[in-house]
Amino acid sequence: MSEKLIEVKNLKKYFGTSKSRLHAVDGLSFSIEKGKILGVVGESGCGKSTTGRVLLRLHEPTSGEILFHGEDVLAFRGRRLKNFRAHAQIIFQDPYASLNPRKTVSEIIAEPLRLHKAFRTKAERHAKALELMELVGLAERLINTYPHELDGGRRQRIGIARALALDPEFIVCDEPVSALDVSIQAQILNLLQDLQDSLGLTYMFITHDLSVVNYFSNDILVMYLGKMVEMAPAVDLFANPTHPYTKALLSAIPIPSLHGRAERILIRGEVVSPINPPPGCRFLPRCDYAMPICAEQEPPVKEISCGHTVACHL
Amino acid sequence: MEQGYPELRIEDLNVVYDTEYGCVRAVNGIDFSIRKGRTLGLVGETGAGKTTTALALMRLIPDPPGRVTSGSIELLGTDIMSYSEREMDAIRGKVVSMIFQDPMTSLNPVFTVGAQIAEAIRIHKNLDAKAAMDEAISIMERVGIPGERAKEYPHQFSGGMKQRVVIAIALACTPQVLIADEPTTALDVTIQAQVLMMFSELSKASNTATIMITHDLGVVAEVCDEVAIMYAGEIVEYGSLEDIFDHYRHPYTEGLFASLPNLNDRNARLVPIKGLMPDPTALPSGCHFHPRCKYATKLCAERAPVKTVIEQEHYVRCLGYEEDAGVALEGFGNK
Repeated sequence: MSEKLIEVKNLKKYFGTSKSRLHAVDGLSFSIEKGKILGVVGESGCGKSTTGRVLLRLHEPTSGEILFHGEDVLAFRGRRLKNFRAHAQIIFQDPYASLNPRKTVSEIIAEPLRLHKAFRTKAERHAKALELMELVGLAERLINTYPHELDGGRRQRIGIARALALDPEFIVCDEPVSALDVSIQAQILNLLQDLQDSLGLTYMFITHDLSVVNYFSNDILVMYLGKMVEMAPAVDLFANPTHPYTKALLSAIPIPSLHGRAERILIRGEVVSPINPPPGCRFLPRCDYAMPICAEQEPPVKEISCGHTVACHL
Repeated sequence: MEQGYPELRIEDLNVVYDTEYGCVRAVNGIDFSIRKGRTLGLVGETGAGKTTTALALMRLIPDPPGRVTSGSIELLGTDIMSYSEREMDAIRGKVVSMIFQDPMTSLNPVFTVGAQIAEAIRIHKNLDAKAAMDEAISIMERVGIPGERAKEYPHQFSGGMKQRVVIAIALACTPQVLIADEPTTALDVTIQAQVLMMFSELSKASNTATIMITHDLGVVAEVCDEVAIMYAGEIVEYGSLEDIFDHYRHPYTEGLFASLPNLNDRNARLVPIKGLMPDPTALPSGCHFHPRCKYATKLCAERAPVKTVIEQEHYVRCLGYEEDAGVALEGFGNK
């Protein structure tokens, strides 16, 4: 077994509101091996983006442990924390909101280089920015343009170049293609995959689009209201989904083909509020297989085959 | 298959927007028709002209800057292009209605959802407030919202529930033609599945002719009978669901399918369409798709393709199918 790059143990992140607490991430444990891709899937509000941000300490977790190369990330302060952030980067969902409109492409890409004092002179930073632009497929002539002059696909390439600027080992990709048209989406997915191959990167790939994670990930983590419901190697998860929520989620994907479509499993109701959730299984109100025990006890995490775990009483 | 007369027929529709950067040709000579109880999918990427087409059908193109420069729109056999605003008011929401993409912004935050559904009923059916509200509540129940929630405001509803409210408003007066502009794009997959299911049941039950605007071919496969693939303001391929999904002929349609991750073959590499959508103020000469087309020849940059019928209703706009053009689509269909 290869080295675990990131390991998360019993991670919790609660947001306080005036009267109550929102359980965004509630006791999540997983690990990602070096050079692998973990896909994190779930619907709006399941805590997938919060998880990504907590991993990079963009939010401080309420409790839990995060290990990076076996070191305690939560103990990092000052220079050590800054150094960690050079190794762990993020690509944001919205290429329209995540780029500073007042900076040119080269300034945006060189910003991390400047902050981390990676090069001494502006000319060196400029040269590195050009190198990164070439890596992500941005034409050199765009170096002095502003983000508003560019389309979504190109902007997302800038976000990728910026994330790659400090040669990170680990990148959280937070819905990097969901704001893009399908033909552009395919270009960006191919780019991310090529970069992963050539630079040996490790990704945590957050998305709501199951066909994208299937294409992209080694392992898939399915979340529901801050909890893991199922985690398995991608092939396993699609071949043998076990949790009722995973089954419903997989069957809800509209398949762009007229052949081989399976009977749809519709789940009733909607995601309930993550504020002060009741004890027991979070999926209970929407589950067709609910039993009395589901309301009383939180489902245990069981390993049903190698690397395939599920949290369900069934 | 029912072969009624078309509820809606549009011919040679052209819409332009005059902007300070020049004239944007958003819709360029579109024609199609829809029959009772059928659903037509309008598919394309951002900027293909899908929403502009829909707004033109409702005569809701903001003017200025937009102008419908030519074309005819026949609704139930009468041309509505010459209708006055007052005449349009009488049919909007009654004969033809529209579901907008974003349920978060298409409801009025200061009125209860019941009042918003009842408004359309009161106006078109000439009912008093009480009777209109009763009818609104029965429609809410048809789209799966408990009737007692009629007194609640939009912010008390989740995204999926808000979209049901928007659908309830659109269906309130049982329109003959319904235009749904990306009705499930803002929703989560499990909720999308619920809404799509409800949507097709309702439109089948009331025999509505529906235009479903979407960029998601998965949604098309689920609810549509006919499909029009749009690119740069034109329909580049049109056909039945089977024609488009199993026997597509246009290089752009091929490109769209090849861009999608395949759930059954996770190792197949995606084949994106190269390049970007063209600038609508300066559309490429000849075939608008030629700069991105892997089969393009010199002629494609010069000559604009015309409709070539493949079989019955299935047609494409591509020089590869025009016999005298001599353009060969070598290797087409080989993945």
